[in-house]
Amino acid sequence: MALDMAKVAPQVAEMTARIKQERKGLLERLKLACDKLCSGKPDLELLKRKIETARTPWVVAGIYEGFGQRFSVSLIPDAYTVVATDGSHISVDRHRFARCYLINIGSVRLQYGQNPLAELESAPVLYSCERDLVIRCGEGRNREQAIEGALLDIKRSVEEVRKLAEILENPSLAGRILALMDGSLVLFGMENYPEFVVEEMLDRGFLKALARINQIAESKELALVSYISFPRSIDVVNALRIACCPFQTVNCEHNCPSGEAPCETVGEINDRLLFEQVLNAGERSCLFINPSLIMKRYGINRVYFFYLKVDEEIARVEVPEWVARQPGLVNLAHALVLDQCRRGQGYPVALSEAHEQAVVTGAERKEFWTLVEGYFTEDRLPVVFSGKSRSKRTRWI
Amino acid sequence: MLENQKTGEVIEASTSGYLAQCYELYQSPALGSLVKTRGDNNLEIFGVVCNTSTLGIEPGRRPIARGKDAVSEEEIYRSSPQLYKLLKSEFDVLVIGYSVEGRIYQNLPPKPARIHGFVYQCTMEEVRLFSRCLDFLSLLLNARVEIPVEELVIATLREMAKSYGIERRAFLVGAGKELAVLLSQDYVRLKTILKGLRYDAGE
Repeated sequence: MALDMAKVAPQVAEMTARIKQERKGLLERLKLACDKLCSGKPDLELLKRKIETARTPWVVAGIYEGFGQRFSVSLIPDAYTVVATDGSHISVDRHRFARCYLINIGSVRLQYGQNPLAELESAPVLYSCERDLVIRCGEGRNREQAIEGALLDIKRSVEEVRKLAEILENPSLAGRILALMDGSLVLFGMENYPEFVVEEMLDRGFLKALARINQIAESKELALVSYISFPRSIDVVNALRIACCPFQTVNCEHNCPSGEAPCETVGEINDRLLFEQVLNAGERSCLFINPSLIMKRYGINRVYFFYLKVDEEIARVEVPEWVARQPGLVNLAHALVLDQCRRGQGYPVALSEAHEQAVVTGAERKEFWTLVEGYFTEDRLPVVFSGKSRSKRTRWI
Repeated sequence: MLENQKTGEVIEASTSGYLAQCYELYQSPALGSLVKTRGDNNLEIFGVVCNTSTLGIEPGRRPIARGKDAVSEEEIYRSSPQLYKLLKSEFDVLVIGYSVEGRIYQNLPPKPARIHGFVYQCTMEEVRLFSRCLDFLSLLLNARVEIPVEELVIATLREMAKSYGIERRAFLVGAGKELAVLLSQDYVRLKTILKGLRYDAGE
């Protein structure tokens, strides 16, 4: 046994004791935050301006339709269609003979109402060509970026949204439609890559597919939504910090150089904890604007979000600007996401089934590499492993 | 002659039997029905349905109770249409004979059914043709299946009798006599089977 549990256990005990001790302070701060969010009517224009001009070391949610209001669902439609995609992948393994990766996109179409219907599909694609493995800047070989690690995660997100757009283009889709994605509409981590990579993955990949969906939505009653379960964001709490800030112009470094700031009274809590207290089951928060810097590239797909209290948990629901600007679509997104969660034991059933279609198990990963090895052997291609890989495959004493 | 109804597809096969998956949930042929599938070299392999089950398509995912607030069972399927894709119905078939170029043999075939072979429900005419000879009863009586063999014999003869119309009783009496010979040393089993068929024989 490599992990010595006897040595881990006292460390777990220490962690639990610390969390218990910190919890009292946390609850106090949380109460203050709730009071601040919900009490009275803040001057929204003033707060908006304060947020826009604030110089803070953290990102702050933009104000759109209010601050502390709650919205409930008036009616959940009986008949609608939900389309969802999710992905999974087998990464490039640099210790193996074949340089390739595989993306498996699971997709689901569920139709409720008079003519119930279900379509579940999984579409695995193997990527092994040079153009699939590397993004190049122009024709030159001097600037290139290998698609692996975090960039492969991004590539997978691009394929998920492309598949979603492809399904939505099906002319047989009619009536109210919810297009569901897992995770965020914001491609996090893009800022760490050079411009030519961002252009390939974001502009020509993710955003192009979102634009296709926007175009489809012009002729259909379609709401695009991304669902984040158990979110850890603090954008709205940070907006609360700004609301708490006694200085007219927020400039943390200048106003509170010592670090002991008045806004610390609502610090160290997150949006999920806050809205757990504020929202009743089925209610959503106001719409806020995602503050990520990369939003400037998103245009009409700029990401807005609200928090939703499903019966057991708080979820963060993101929508593109073209949904956020149509109250009818926001209501539809709210109602249908809630309905999906209720049909799915607290998590959107379409997403859960799309995940089931996409998931690649440990055994399947092994099977995949055995298959590749089999073909290589049959064609008399050299099957070589790194020393490290060989050592892991044949364990010895 | 009526066309054969395609009812499923072979997903596991051995010489003595095979497992077939239905194309539609819950649409398996009745217990004891005569079905056929094609084997190698234009063999037609005949068998009887000896067990049916409905379960989740993935071994790790068990169905859960969903109907607490539903007014009908149909409503559960309407509100979760994916159930039709996540559940499957399967049936086990016990092989009891085969035919080559129109000649029927009531023995095990030289080769088993093929995976993905289509399984057809036999027409009434085929059932009559097959059951003209009752040698298959000894294969049935010696089978190792999940349900009691006596129940399988009753279900098979009952299903076959349906294709005989007014000669139904004559068929069952003939089968009863054959069973009396085969089970001359086992009165209890014979009695169980005959008792099970007495209403079908019009007694």
